[in-house]
Amino acid sequence: MKNYILTLGLILPTVLFGQIDRSIRPEAAPAPTINIKNSEVFTTANGITVILSENHRLPRVSFNLSMGATPKVEGDKAGLSGVAGSLIMSGTENRSKDELDNAIDYMGASLRASSTNVSMSCLTKHMEKGLGLMSDVVMNANFPQSEVDRIISQNEDNLLATKSQEAEMSGNARAVANFPSTHPYGEVMTQASLDKIDRASIVQYFKETFTPNGSYLVVVGDITLEQTKAAVEKNFGSWSGGAVYKAELVSANSVKGNRVIFVNKAGADQSVISITYPLDIKPSNEDYLKLKVLDGILGGGVFGNRLMQNLREDKGYTYGCRSRASVDNYGSTFSAGGNFRNDVTDSAIVEILMELDRITEGLVEDEELSMTKSSMAGSFARSLEQPSTVARFALNIIRNELPKDYYQTYLKQLEAVTKEDILMVAQKYMTGSNCNIVVVGNEEVIDRIMKFDSDGKIEKLDAFGNEASEKMEADISADELLEKYSTMMAMGSTGKALKKKLKSVKTHKTVIEMKIPQAPGPAIATTIWTAKGAEGSKMEMMGMTMQKSYFDGKKGGSGGQGGAKVMTEEEIAETKKSYGLIPEMNYAESGMDYELTGIEMYDGKPCYVLKLTESKKVTFEYFDKETFQKTASVIMATTDQGMQEVTYTYADYKEYGGFLFPDTINLFVSGMQLSGKVKSREINVKVDLNEFK
Amino acid sequence: MKNLIITGLLLASFSFAGLSQREIEYVEYDLDNGIHVILHEETSTPIVAVSVLYHVGSKNEKDERTGFAHFFEHLLFEGSENIERGEYSELVEKNGGTLNANTSWDRTFYYEILPSNQLELGLWLESERLLHAKVDNTGIETQRSVVKEEKRQRDTPYSSFIEEMFSRMYPDHPYRWMPIGSMEHLDAAEEKDYVDFYRTFYVPANATLTIAGDIDIEETKKWINKYFNSIPKGQALNLYRDLETMEEEAFVKTYGMSKERFDVNDFSNPDGKLAGALLNKLSNSPIRIPRPNEPQVKLSEVKKAVVHDNIQLPALFMGYQTPSQTHEDMYALQMMNDVLAGGASSRINKSLVEQKQMAVQAFAFAFGLEQAGVALFGAIGSAGQELDAIQSEFDIQIKMIQDKLISQEEFEKVRNQYENDFVSSNSTIAGIAENLADNHVYNGGAEKINTELAKYLSVTREDIQRVAKKYLTQDARIVLHYLPMEEDAEESENGQN
Repeated sequence: MKNYILTLGLILPTVLFGQIDRSIRPEAAPAPTINIKNSEVFTTANGITVILSENHRLPRVSFNLSMGATPKVEGDKAGLSGVAGSLIMSGTENRSKDELDNAIDYMGASLRASSTNVSMSCLTKHMEKGLGLMSDVVMNANFPQSEVDRIISQNEDNLLATKSQEAEMSGNARAVANFPSTHPYGEVMTQASLDKIDRASIVQYFKETFTPNGSYLVVVGDITLEQTKAAVEKNFGSWSGGAVYKAELVSANSVKGNRVIFVNKAGADQSVISITYPLDIKPSNEDYLKLKVLDGILGGGVFGNRLMQNLREDKGYTYGCRSRASVDNYGSTFSAGGNFRNDVTDSAIVEILMELDRITEGLVEDEELSMTKSSMAGSFARSLEQPSTVARFALNIIRNELPKDYYQTYLKQLEAVTKEDILMVAQKYMTGSNCNIVVVGNEEVIDRIMKFDSDGKIEKLDAFGNEASEKMEADISADELLEKYSTMMAMGSTGKALKKKLKSVKTHKTVIEMKIPQAPGPAIATTIWTAKGAEGSKMEMMGMTMQKSYFDGKKGGSGGQGGAKVMTEEEIAETKKSYGLIPEMNYAESGMDYELTGIEMYDGKPCYVLKLTESKKVTFEYFDKETFQKTASVIMATTDQGMQEVTYTYADYKEYGGFLFPDTINLFVSGMQLSGKVKSREINVKVDLNEFK
Repeated sequence: MKNLIITGLLLASFSFAGLSQREIEYVEYDLDNGIHVILHEETSTPIVAVSVLYHVGSKNEKDERTGFAHFFEHLLFEGSENIERGEYSELVEKNGGTLNANTSWDRTFYYEILPSNQLELGLWLESERLLHAKVDNTGIETQRSVVKEEKRQRDTPYSSFIEEMFSRMYPDHPYRWMPIGSMEHLDAAEEKDYVDFYRTFYVPANATLTIAGDIDIEETKKWINKYFNSIPKGQALNLYRDLETMEEEAFVKTYGMSKERFDVNDFSNPDGKLAGALLNKLSNSPIRIPRPNEPQVKLSEVKKAVVHDNIQLPALFMGYQTPSQTHEDMYALQMMNDVLAGGASSRINKSLVEQKQMAVQAFAFAFGLEQAGVALFGAIGSAGQELDAIQSEFDIQIKMIQDKLISQEEFEKVRNQYENDFVSSNSTIAGIAENLADNHVYNGGAEKINTELAKYLSVTREDIQRVAKKYLTQDARIVLHYLPMEEDAEESENGQN
């Protein structure tokens, strides 16, 4: 322990302070090298490559175990690895999930797992306990059926939510645009593939993937080589498994000419544009770093990169336009894009393609090169403070076959990148004329983007990257559809019989219990309707009213957490357009603006799509072509915060007082799912509108 | 039985021995102008944290000019004589760094994290901020709207409880207002008020410069000498600042000689004996930095109040007077707090939230400030929950920790958590720089960074029981009931006693 507290005279130079011109800004000193010690590497008898990066600065240690298998094509079970990964921490032969969580908390440690990885970090003194838990998970994860069910149903929700998430839809389209379905990166999970995933396949995935053979255990922190050897032997010595799966992957798709891929997002007010193509490069390629610098200058860096400068600052087309060269051993891609208003969709594509070409046509400016390099050097250096970064580097060197001193000399290599290098990699890897142009957006932009396709034929995909079934012409009229729907609701009654039946219903009250993810309790939604034209609805949680609204036939309002509001004349007029127990019956007279747009697939079934247009919202209603039951409503509402999308799905129609009503009503909003079950549905009970005011 | 426990403790402290001995080494010294310098060399990552702690917080403000310390945290990014407006952050970011600052009741802390080859840039930037930052109406206007927006964002439900608590706990001390301060005061203040504040508190004798990271100590000292030692001492700094900002006429009026006699680029060598004598005299006249006295009012009764807020669920907050952060008892007090209400498995969370379901959330803070402290407990009740019932449950839990030693398992867990937190707080160079500076300014020496954990780990179960008895006084505390607006107006009137 040496604290030097020196007296003034010792440290101050003889001249206190002389001349100084403060307007001269300091120059950077030469780029530093990084003091990462070379890692120790050894292999265990059962085939684990252990990489040790000793660092005794802090009394912490981390163990990161990665499997060595090549990603597998999952075929009809696409999504299996992801589902299995989220289940690894669900308990072992020796410990329940709760016991596992509690043991970790007690030490203040962390233990995490993914589809190909388990990692643990803790204070050195808790290492034995921590490793005990980690090896238990690695060897004895037991995938309880109840947890399997929970995770699968969570994935079902996510799949449904995908249809309202443009970014997800774009990702799926990019995957199939850049890779064939026989490549793991070209696979997309769908409801059909999720249906095929069961506990047995998860257990099998885990058994095949989690094998010591070919795995990598990266150990970082306050531990010596001897201690590491002993700890690995003790905790993983008895771990056994099959041979590691290694395979040559098929090539990415080759793109000849520009190819426009469109994914329909009904009612969207902006287009998600992604201009993308596969890159023929691996991390071990000496061009890699130069390509990353180019990417920074083009659209990956922070300050004034070309895409941001052109499309945001100069043109004002978007809030953000970025690029990303994503490079790994199994399949690399380039993509550039962002979110753009419908009316500038084509202009934005023109500008992005222009930037992709421009960077191949001349040397970049000194200023943009040096700024990008400095910013990359800084974030690289700062990332090193995390021990996990050092661990990742050590692993990358082995897996990507990089030179041993790759990261030690990274900053120097970066500094050495020249304008000529950038032009060289630009000409080798950048193109504005052999791209997949993926647009997720409103059908109305199709005419604007058609011209970019080399052969003039636009490809249409659904949310999951499958060829979109072309919208079919409806074989009935809108009014016929509404009539069929009403007849279905009334269980076959039509005409006078239906009128009589409707007359007998004076009130209708429904109570739905809605489960909200992460919320401590369910929400209770109550709706009432009376034949006199009154309606009310409220949502309560833990005894608290989150929101409520009412309409007494003439006026109405809403209250709750969002504050009280009175209905405007416009809102009153619109509410009046949906009157009656089966409002759809009355659309022809109520002034509702409705249109049957055709037949589309929804959730794997052909459905009639009815579009309702109101002043501040557009609703797409899906009616099953066979049963005429309404299966979903997708509402695109214009709010102060921009476009908000809400999706309701309906299922399990049951009889109540001679009418069929759905018992299952799910609600998707802002990426969250509320699963609702009808608790009670009562006809002709006493209702009180005051509860909703 | 007793023997066994002691053995267990001994064993536990033995296993800690190796950990707590991992000392953070550093060099520290004072510059002639009063800046305290702390340097910590840590070469494992090629980055450096450059930080300056100014010993000025909201407690140094006048009661009609609150919010100044925090306002300066924003204003001092506006630039300097040599840095254009808006350029300060840009210079850091485009050279690969990040920067930030924060303000408390007691201090204002600025830092940059840069690649280590940009250390000199960081030193220049911070020295510019200290020597001659832009404190003018243009910047003040810009930052007023930024701070107002920040205040708006901070005005969330329940967020007023800290001020409601502190204003009753320490009515005779500036701790009674929050660092964010009053927007009316900021609006009412004129340019001169801001300049005065800058000239009072942003002076070398009030600054601690801490540098941690991949540095060469000798070279760093050379640069510190260049950029910081050249900052004039005492009131000579005012002369320097006036030389840059004053008109000739006003300067002559103030100093009795022309600006011509001085040169900002060679300030220590003015022209002529008279000027030299003036500079010498001013250098040796220190700038007085006003500091408030310690709070005098001892809380001796139960003060209860009802606050109506824009909330749906009622909430209860209870506060007790505790000593300042440097007091020995603070270690035990903080651990006691965590046993009671720190984290999901704490006693109060288990009883109030999980078992009795009276509250949706329960928590505790142990504020240790420079001149006083507050032990604070809070719970957000379930809908319609009587707050008195929550208070009774708190009281039961408090009585229990006063009457009976905590279990060995709880004790171990809270020790584990402190150890983990401590190690984490020193896992980054920015964290180390901040801890070194804090310890120097508040805890009697930077060396405390190496003994703090041992202090926590030397707290016994008996200490925790002792401080619970000493400070959690049923007959002297503040109790706040937070209720939704509009409802229970009657209770509000009755409650304000």
